Amino acid sequence: MAIAEELYAYSGGVNELLARYGVKFGIYKNGEFHEQLFPFDIIPRIINHDEFAQLERGLKQRVFALNEFLKDIYSDGKIISDGVIAEEFIYSGTGWLAQCAGVSPPKGIYSHISGIDLVQAKNGTWYILEDNLRIPSGASYPMIARELGRKSLPPEFFEKHHVEDNRNYAELLSRTMNYVNTGGLSVILTPGRFNAAYFEHSYFAELTGAHLVTCEDLVVEDENLYFKDYSGKKEKIGAIYRRISDEYLDPVNFNSQSLIGVPHIFDIYRKGNVAIINSPGNGAADDKGIYYFVPAMIKYYLHEEPILNNAPTYLPYYEDDMKYILANFDNLVLKDVAEAGGYGVIFGNKLSSSEKEKFIAMLKAEPRRFIAQEVIDFQDIEIFEGSSQVPRKADLRAFVLMSDEPVVWKSGLTRFSRNPDSFIVNSSQGGGFKDTWIMTEEK
Amino acid sequence: MMHRLRYIYQMRLNFEEPVREHHFKLRCFPSSDERQKIFNEHIKIYPVHFSNAEKDSFGNLCIYGTANQMHDHFAVNVDGEAEINSEGKVPAALNKIGMFKYETNLTRAGNSIREFHRSFEPMNYMTGYERAIYMMNELYEEFLYTPGITGILTSAEEAFTLRRGVCQDYAHILLALCRLERIPCRYTAGMIPGEGATHAWTEIFDAGAWRAIDPTHNRECDDTYIKISSGRDAQDCAINQGVFYGGGRQTQEVKVIVHEILPQS
Repeated sequence: MAIAEELYAYSGGVNELLARYGVKFGIYKNGEFHEQLFPFDIIPRIINHDEFAQLERGLKQRVFALNEFLKDIYSDGKIISDGVIAEEFIYSGTGWLAQCAGVSPPKGIYSHISGIDLVQAKNGTWYILEDNLRIPSGASYPMIARELGRKSLPPEFFEKHHVEDNRNYAELLSRTMNYVNTGGLSVILTPGRFNAAYFEHSYFAELTGAHLVTCEDLVVEDENLYFKDYSGKKEKIGAIYRRISDEYLDPVNFNSQSLIGVPHIFDIYRKGNVAIINSPGNGAADDKGIYYFVPAMIKYYLHEEPILNNAPTYLPYYEDDMKYILANFDNLVLKDVAEAGGYGVIFGNKLSSSEKEKFIAMLKAEPRRFIAQEVIDFQDIEIFEGSSQVPRKADLRAFVLMSDEPVVWKSGLTRFSRNPDSFIVNSSQGGGFKDTWIMTEEK
Repeated sequence: MMHRLRYIYQMRLNFEEPVREHHFKLRCFPSSDERQKIFNEHIKIYPVHFSNAEKDSFGNLCIYGTANQMHDHFAVNVDGEAEINSEGKVPAALNKIGMFKYETNLTRAGNSIREFHRSFEPMNYMTGYERAIYMMNELYEEFLYTPGITGILTSAEEAFTLRRGVCQDYAHILLALCRLERIPCRYTAGMIPGEGATHAWTEIFDAGAWRAIDPTHNRECDDTYIKISSGRDAQDCAINQGVFYGGGRQTQEVKVIVHEILPQS
């Protein structure tokens, strides 16, 4: 790739800047926290204009349907009574929160910021791998890589190559927060600097002008949430982009053992007095079991055919699917629905016969716990290893931000596996990242 | 003729060391529905900086708030009168009961409950409610009411393995059994005549409404059962969920008094 050759000279410089800017990723391993650099590869993933336009339509459609689904299951549950989704997949999942039943978030938006993971097969077809509707992270990495690239590369480089400007993420994020704001400040809540994504929290705050706050800065009084400044002055908050998970959000409503959180924030959210971004309870829609039903959801709520495909998926819960799984075990990848971050993923052909026997017994005992998927032979993407280019597996996390309508950010986080034999690209498992270039319209 | 009951619920938390910024969420207030009418209810909470009322997702009345200033005890007094119509049906829409059919952490059947369940006769001609009554009888024969062995965090499976426990355990085990058969059922916290602690029982969905049965006494609930709250398990019905700074050891005292008000001649 000619661009790769052109970029190679700048690789060291950009990586050095990234390190200096503290672009890091925190990892917990064996009870210890380590911060490590998130390796950046300068060869971008390039998606041409028309191809992205198609992805864009498909992603908007998908996120819109997922949002409708959340609205539905926390109110009337029509999709269940109409028999489209087995209720077991909703009520016995860990993502569904009973506390959210009957609560409507401001403007009916549940998934303000969605991170949808895709892969491209060798024949060029894109497949959705996973929907992340809780607190998807990662947009800051291509943002800062582009920003630092702009500092290092010749002026006009990106314009010359017809790359869509991705610097509008902060603007999209502000628009998303403002749209649901119930009156008052918009803030970004971080659990603190020992969080894996702290770099991202502070970067977003800097770019959007929102206050970066921790739980100690917040208090609920009467029916509102307030930000307390150093002098003790209180200012009302109308939207909170929280980067802590539901269970730690509010110790009097969720996990009472939580040492962090904002007591009563859920009580005033219930009354409609603050927007929580993303809404509590979204885990009900990004469960790996629910993923299976997303194409059916699109047809059910939108009366449209899905534009983007799921990877072919089977639910052992259904007898026919179970038969297929047992007959094709070696060609499938099995995933534990409760796990994330690349954990709990088993390739059928990697198991010894005794391991396989044991696994199948578990599958039969707890069919609701697993999904099986065809292994997609996804396209390799070139990375630099020293000065030579080598192929590696990579996925794409696309970001969809919802305000008056869903908007797909014209960039995305491309993650790659550094290990040539691995399909697992998660940053928590040592993968690296790339910028994602969307081409502007051909003139 | 319908009974009229007078109830008093008192809860007091004593802190060894004073606490501050005490955030509480209380769920100990009977409210009126198709089955019970509440009259002349008085609520006192001390100390309070602010408080506010709401209904949670199960329809339970909650009061949440904060006590900012240092305090070494926290007290709640609720008193009022209730008239209960045990024939009154609390309706439930079919699309709202799904969550009550599936196990929770406290009502998950493990090996010992599953084994017990396997010993039952199938009897698939029964309605869910009749089946629940049958399982309640079986449980009553198998389990021994014994205070002091289990706690509020004891799961159904743990209590059943011991074969001993209190009303919360009876309720959780019956819920675990019903949920193995996907019979919609819920946990109910409340009060019955006498002096002592709160009581717990279960409600079973039957023909569009909830019917209350008491596994601890192996009977259907009559017009002396005052309901406080209901949910999937005891955790959903927590009388108080609170956090605070400081405090050292804390002790909780709960006192419930319920007696019949005799009609004036």
